[in-house]
Amino acid sequence: MSLVLHDYELDADCYKVRLLVSMLKLDCRKVAVNAHPGREHHSPAYRRLNPLGALPILEDGETVLHDAEPILAYLAKAYDTGGTWLPDDPKTFGEVMMWLAFAHRDLAAATLARLHSMLEVPADAEAVERASRAAFRILEDHMTRRELGGFAWVVGEGPTLADIALFPAIALSRDFGIDHDEYPALRRWMRRFRTLPGFLTMPGIPDYH
Amino acid sequence: MSSAAGWYAVALSDGLEPGTSAGTRLFDKELVVWRDASGASHVWEDRCPHRGMRLSFGFVRGTHIACLYHGWQYDEAGQCRYIPAHPTLDVPETIRVATYASAEAMGMIWVRSDAGPSVPPPSNAPVIPVRSLYVDLPSETVAAGLEARSFARVSPGLYSADVADTSVLLAVQPFTVDRTGLHLAIADSSPAVMAVAVWAEELRDALEAASREDAP
Repeated sequence: MSLVLHDYELDADCYKVRLLVSMLKLDCRKVAVNAHPGREHHSPAYRRLNPLGALPILEDGETVLHDAEPILAYLAKAYDTGGTWLPDDPKTFGEVMMWLAFAHRDLAAATLARLHSMLEVPADAEAVERASRAAFRILEDHMTRRELGGFAWVVGEGPTLADIALFPAIALSRDFGIDHDEYPALRRWMRRFRTLPGFLTMPGIPDYH
Repeated sequence: MSSAAGWYAVALSDGLEPGTSAGTRLFDKELVVWRDASGASHVWEDRCPHRGMRLSFGFVRGTHIACLYHGWQYDEAGQCRYIPAHPTLDVPETIRVATYASAEAMGMIWVRSDAGPSVPPPSNAPVIPVRSLYVDLPSETVAAGLEARSFARVSPGLYSADVADTSVLLAVQPFTVDRTGLHLAIADSSPAVMAVAVWAEELRDALEAASREDAP
């Protein structure tokens, strides 16, 4: 194994990969990319790795992957031999995929709202906040029903890639002015998530002491 | 927090685990609701007197709540007891957080909305807690919508209704000028918790949709 993660510390998508790498205790070299203000991920060298000019990028020998959700799925398939994070049974697998799509598509508004607020990336601030709150409400309703059904995690019996992919946008929402006051079920879920072995924080996610 | 004296629910009791805190609002005022390690709940102004940081961002240690910024710790009465940067300091009594009268009843945490004449808190009754949810409408619009749907008004902050043969209690929390919290519990031993939780989502969506149709 010679894993290399091209990483930007403040990037919520890179954080997803760092979380799984830590939780799986993988030996992974992190290369710090000067995404802001340097825009190094748009350089010719990085365009060769990802023509989309976006992070994270994972190299594993000859394999080069970009986008957090496929990287999570790859790492689980390759290194999570117990099938904990990406369970094999069709129902759970399908539900994990559904929430990975939600994280990538519906929570993109939250990612953009945060970048707009922190790094002045152009966005319609009102529209991205409205879309973020709509997505948060869907997840809050889902986790409320999960708790009432006796479950602690987004899918199945234990934590999966779905929890990892959904956590950063919610946990970082104060960066763009959405408090957790209206999301009691998400607050409890985030608290459980923080107790997982290998959990790590990033700037914007408090480290209690 | 002066509007409309009375008791208002701000959270479900079993939604706040010992040793945790949550931020909320009542009439736009930021509150921290927290439960200490002994199980007692507290509702305070959500503001550390040191730098104004929301205490709900902080953490509970035993019977104290600590601010995330600099770790100032407050006891159950809101009195600052420990300042990490000055560990030997006997903290002056003037450093304290504003606290509110609060009580737990009907599976919910209630706070009294002003310091006027003391009114007793809602009386307790056995219930099954269901869920909290938040509506993007002013509390007056929500109240009108509930009354239009034949909910019975028990008190300014509390309604009751029969939903599919289940007696549901619905507490209304005036959150901000344009948002309202709802806290639901079932007043009998019906097992229909999930059905009531889903019904509440549909109620929220219907109230918001009706308001959009009424808009000019």
